[in-house]
Amino acid sequence: MAETGRLTIPTARRPWLHPVTALRIAIIAALLVAWEALAASGLLYRDVVPSLFAIGKALFNLLTVPDMPVHIDLDLRVVHIDWQLTLPAFYWHLYSTFYEIAVGMVIGCVSGIVVGIAVGGSQLLRRAYEPLIYYLGPCPKIIFFPVMIMWFGVGSGSKIAMGAISCFFPVALNVAGGMREIDQVLIRVGRSFRASTWQMVTKIYLPAMRHPLINGVRLGLGVCLIGTLLAETKLSNRGIGFLVIQAYSVFNMPLMYALLIALFVIAIGANALIGWLGGLDDIKSR
Amino acid sequence: MSMQAITRARWFPAVLGFGSFAAAILIIELLIRVGLINRFIVPMPSEIVRAFPRVIAEEHVLWRFLVTAAEALSASILVTVFGIAGGVLLYQFRLLRAATETWVAAVAAAPLVLIYPLYLVIFGRNATTIVMMGFTAGLAPVILKTLEGLAGTRRVLINVGRSFNLTRSQQFWKILFPAALPTIFVGMRLGLIFALINIVGVEFLINFGGLGQLINELAERYDLAGTYAAISFVILVSICVFLLTERLERWLRPVD
Amino acid sequence: MAALIQPSERLAVASPAGSILVVDNITKRFETPEGVVTAVENLSLSVASGEFLGVIGPSGCGKSTLFNIIGGLLDGYEGSVKVAGELVRGPHPSIGMIFQEESTFPWRTVLDNVAFPLEIAGMGRSERYDKAGHFVSLVGLDGFERRYPAELSGGMRQRVSMARTLAAQPKIMLMDEPFAALDEQTRLLLGDKVLQIQQELKQTTLIITHNITEAVQLSDRILVMTYRPGRLKRVVDIDLPRPRTSEIVSSEAFGRYVAQIWNDLREEASRGLRADEAAKRQGAPT
Repeated sequence: MAETGRLTIPTARRPWLHPVTALRIAIIAALLVAWEALAASGLLYRDVVPSLFAIGKALFNLLTVPDMPVHIDLDLRVVHIDWQLTLPAFYWHLYSTFYEIAVGMVIGCVSGIVVGIAVGGSQLLRRAYEPLIYYLGPCPKIIFFPVMIMWFGVGSGSKIAMGAISCFFPVALNVAGGMREIDQVLIRVGRSFRASTWQMVTKIYLPAMRHPLINGVRLGLGVCLIGTLLAETKLSNRGIGFLVIQAYSVFNMPLMYALLIALFVIAIGANALIGWLGGLDDIKSR
Repeated sequence: MSMQAITRARWFPAVLGFGSFAAAILIIELLIRVGLINRFIVPMPSEIVRAFPRVIAEEHVLWRFLVTAAEALSASILVTVFGIAGGVLLYQFRLLRAATETWVAAVAAAPLVLIYPLYLVIFGRNATTIVMMGFTAGLAPVILKTLEGLAGTRRVLINVGRSFNLTRSQQFWKILFPAALPTIFVGMRLGLIFALINIVGVEFLINFGGLGQLINELAERYDLAGTYAAISFVILVSICVFLLTERLERWLRPVD
Repeated sequence: MAALIQPSERLAVASPAGSILVVDNITKRFETPEGVVTAVENLSLSVASGEFLGVIGPSGCGKSTLFNIIGGLLDGYEGSVKVAGELVRGPHPSIGMIFQEESTFPWRTVLDNVAFPLEIAGMGRSERYDKAGHFVSLVGLDGFERRYPAELSGGMRQRVSMARTLAAQPKIMLMDEPFAALDEQTRLLLGDKVLQIQQELKQTTLIITHNITEAVQLSDRILVMTYRPGRLKRVVDIDLPRPRTSEIVSSEAFGRYVAQIWNDLREEASRGLRADEAAKRQGAPT
């Protein structure tokens, strides 16, 4: 006789560790073990693969050992602050690089947006100038560095210029492309309400192309980072790039690895941040 | 021809583009001659043009170009072999792909070229460093695009293969791989471009190699006109390579 | 009264109540790669204050050209357009346009969309949100102020566009196939809404459409256009009682009006088809 009644399906046992995560942990662990084995074996030239402990120590020292005197002198009328403290030099160099990148980004993005809107908005200008920007894009910008040094000196100016030039191209191209993609009816709505040019730009063009714009800024940040840091490695006396080359010149490998790790964490973090900011908007347009 | 007809003509935008560029050069020449722009910071365009033949003859530009090209070619071959292999590997092993695809994408967006001092230590100040740098920079796009091409094969094509009872190997070589080829070519082109940019850049930075080194040398010698001429030359080469690869890709890609 | 307009007659359509919109003998020609196309020829019409005028014609009769000319988005035509005596030389503050395509700003909430014209005009924040809110309820979207267009249906989005145009309180509402993207039931219901609003605000409205049911349902008078070059073929006074609702669609008088206009349209549409085929055979511009 057939069993009528409730059909019980055994609930699938959920693994306490997702297989993907497990594999990732396994890969990382394997790489670390292989690294340490290579370091201990002495197969390679002296410090080319330093032990993980040495790298960890260098990273720790880099971030925490104060070795740079800083004097803060603030007069705030109610209270006078006169601090003499020592900070890890890393943060001063980090600030220097950050400042150069920030200014370079602002210059590059603003000029990229202006040129992108101008070129993308007019059929004539687009066909005349977009190819110029498009074909100049894949050129390695670091080769302009000697010229930047001549024009802006050996200080921050030339690094900022490198960052700005690098950042300009992806932003301008993405904005120009974004202008082309804007739904024409939205432009007609703006015109039918007699919006001024500035209003058209701020209330219609920019919001309508926020996705290509964010992508352009993301790419721009990536290449600005590269341009600025490479310039620092070539000719500078401050900044993360300078620290890397300095570590190379004294063959302090653990320090170099530590710096590269710090650098990549920051770069990937900044990229993820912009991506996340851009993704916030997707909730609206779902 | 009326003004309106001229602005609408097919050749007008190109003329406008090049024309304004030429006009800008002329204005710069004028400003330098008049003294408004310091000629020790910006050499006269006419001087730069005159420097071209001198640089080409004295600095063995053709040989340098071949050096850079050889480096780029080596890097491209490495990138193609390992990139496609990597992409295929990730496609075949789904778990591996799920675990590492985002890592590869993150690496593709990271400022990899900053590793060059590390390569200097490992490989020394020679062509190997340059080629390895090109390889490192160009690898990720090829892996990602290969993966994208394979994974993006239309379901119906796969089903056609299954309906003919193809073996896994046949399915891969006769259906998946050919279907993915256009996207793979896009990846190879991206890989080549990334590699080239990094190769010329690193040549400049470590003062070794072909065209990149030329710019650095001329700059260190304070040969102003020569430096500008070399930079212009590299820009021209970069544009030509980019154009060529674009044409090549369009020619190789079958019409969808 | 339904008079057939001879090509030689021009301003035969003035109404006694005083015309707020006067379109005088406009002709618009376009230069295409294949030659000159006359979209609209010797077209004149006038709209009285508070009147609901429908302009109907077959596809390709120049309706959209007419819409863009009156709205001030198109120039380079012969003849003139006057609003309350003033010559129209660009988008006029007294004319509000509602477009055929989806035209809400996807990045703004419903309330922000409707407040757009007020924002452009420089109105302060609380004042314009107050006003905008009033128009949001007028179109029946109470409670949706904070939603984004992506969360609304097509019909609701068209209501947002309508509220936005109404918020500018134009003397004349100009609509180009506003319900083209909607299904028949939504059309009828939205038509009801439009009638209700128009009757409440005594809004002068000009609707351009190819849908006869819609035109007869909404209009006081209908102008039938010929196939390209678009001229006036017939004027039909719609003597259906007001206030109207969509129930009128099933009445006998309604059916007779529709049949009459359908006859005219069919004639023009088939003329158009034959002209197209003849032109294609000769390789001339269609």
